[in-house]
Amino acid sequence: MAEKNPNTDRPFLDIKDLVVEYVSDGETVHAVNGVSLHLERGKTLGLVGETGAGKTTIAKSILRILPDVGAKICGGEVHLDGENLLELPEVEMRKIRGNKISMIFQDPMTALNPVQTVGDQIAEVVRLHLEHGDRTDPVERAKEMLEIVGIPAERFSEYPHQFSGGMKQRVVIAIALACNPDLLLADEPTTALDVTIQAQVLDLIADLRNKYNTAMLLITHDMGVVAQVCDDVAVIYAGNIVEYGTKRQVFKHPTHPYTIGLFGAIPDMNEDEEWLHPIDGLPPDPTNLPQGCAFSPRCPYATDECRKEAIKVYRTADGHDCRCCRIEAIAKKEG
Amino acid sequence: MEPVIRVENLKKYFATPGGALHAVDDVTFSIEAGKTLGVVGESGCGKSTLGRTIIHLHESTDGKIFLEGKDITKLKGRELRAAREKMQIIFQDPYSSIDPRKTISSTVMEPLKVSGRYNRREIAEKTAELMGLVGIDERLRLAYPHELDGGRRQRVGIARALALDPKFIVCDEPVSALDVSIQAQVLNLLKKLQQDKGLTYMFVTHDMSVVRHISDDICVMYLGQVVEKCPSKELFAMPLHPYTKALLSAIPSTDIDNPTKREILKGELTSPINPKPGCRFAARCPFATEACEQPQVQEEVSPGHFVRCCRIREVN
Repeated sequence: MAEKNPNTDRPFLDIKDLVVEYVSDGETVHAVNGVSLHLERGKTLGLVGETGAGKTTIAKSILRILPDVGAKICGGEVHLDGENLLELPEVEMRKIRGNKISMIFQDPMTALNPVQTVGDQIAEVVRLHLEHGDRTDPVERAKEMLEIVGIPAERFSEYPHQFSGGMKQRVVIAIALACNPDLLLADEPTTALDVTIQAQVLDLIADLRNKYNTAMLLITHDMGVVAQVCDDVAVIYAGNIVEYGTKRQVFKHPTHPYTIGLFGAIPDMNEDEEWLHPIDGLPPDPTNLPQGCAFSPRCPYATDECRKEAIKVYRTADGHDCRCCRIEAIAKKEG
Repeated sequence: MEPVIRVENLKKYFATPGGALHAVDDVTFSIEAGKTLGVVGESGCGKSTLGRTIIHLHESTDGKIFLEGKDITKLKGRELRAAREKMQIIFQDPYSSIDPRKTISSTVMEPLKVSGRYNRREIAEKTAELMGLVGIDERLRLAYPHELDGGRRQRVGIARALALDPKFIVCDEPVSALDVSIQAQVLNLLKKLQQDKGLTYMFVTHDMSVVRHISDDICVMYLGQVVEKCPSKELFAMPLHPYTKALLSAIPSTDIDNPTKREILKGELTSPINPKPGCRFAARCPFATEACEQPQVQEEVSPGHFVRCCRIREVN
């Protein structure tokens, strides 16, 4: 907590009660329902959850790149370095995107422009964000970035189709890091890659984060990736954070029934088990969320109390958050 | 007893403008009845092509395929159709592998209709039975695929594969598109069906924790070749090939107290088009020497444990 902005008392990235809705076919999709997160420079926060939990929507809300039609940020604040991004005019926001905040997208095959050389695509970001009087040569900077991500600078003039999947993702990372962002949003950066290439890319991201003291929000569904890269973890279910703590707290003492279920469903690499332990049922329909706890229809510990009203967050003495009203009963049962 | 599936020196090459692409190159193995062979490897290593070539979705270039002891490599027409009833496939993507304009029940009953063995009443009965078997609610009979989530769609794919009581099923990344909580449901279902019906699986995946859970034996593939094959437990306890070692060490562990010591491989998969005769992994292998430029032979280093590496003794 040493690096707080001296002007305010806020963490470097501070999201408060973010609510995002989509409207489709006249129905309202409750994608993000009051999410609060915070992140300091040089730290990595893992945002974990299943398809449709709202992970990517949160990242896109920070950058304000949700689709114009149908999506709406209905409430909340996103403070970066003391500034509420949601109140900035679009002109200001354009200066921030790709510069102060950048994003690594999941699929390197579609994130790159197929008819522009990779070098040009990196140089473009640098050129767009040149400050008045800054003499940085965008082409030189692009070549430097290629070398940093482990691609020879001679390949500057090649096109995306000439690169393999792992190399393309490195180009996407080079674009994201070209302007030394303060905040990096990495949306499933290695999901499309093979494990041996994933290991290379994760190492690369971690090195660059340490070198430039970047804050990183890592979105993933892979608990193994979280264990390797993150400092803190937020588990999200149906647009709500259900558990939030340090990596050690969440991995060693998972408290929310959803988190417990998630760990239980992964095949164990060290033990032989005849049957896996899936979480019963399916994630809820986001246009029609259950009353009370959204996980209650699938939860083995749910009682009537869980289905009445919105569940409060319970915080342990050491700052481990859990959105569940039955934690004491569960702790007794699980021993 | 005769294994359900046996392949000998199987090859599948594709003609490309740049030359022959060696997708599957000299693969030999067999699978006993009721067992699961896991096939792992990275994208482009030929694991899906191998599965598809065995069940004749691709015509093999060379080598032999035996189904219950019978050579089916060159079968055509009616005989091939009869053999195909015994071999089915479950595809990776439950979104693109079922017809979006057909109801769930008509997708499941299609193999029954095509076989010509059943009358209308039997088809209706068997369809209902199949849907019950994979756990799809009867009321979804007339639903369309877009009304279903990924897990249920994959159950439809499984019901369709089971329709004609196959002996052997190629499961081509059947859970890769699913979230972990749903993945566990589908894996349990596949295992239950195997026990109840004595099915034999070839399970293709890139997920090492899944393959460890479901397989009896595992083949590790690299650029069209099997580099290591042995019982599942042995592979994880004692991997011998340098590629297997690197692959296992690259899996991010969820144990935060014992982070995996990763051997980061340099470089990436080389092109499978007109590969050099030597070891295909040599370019990325930390142990490679000149001897690796010679063609590598598969060696049985201990009973049931096969490795294709000439430096295996120095490496281990």
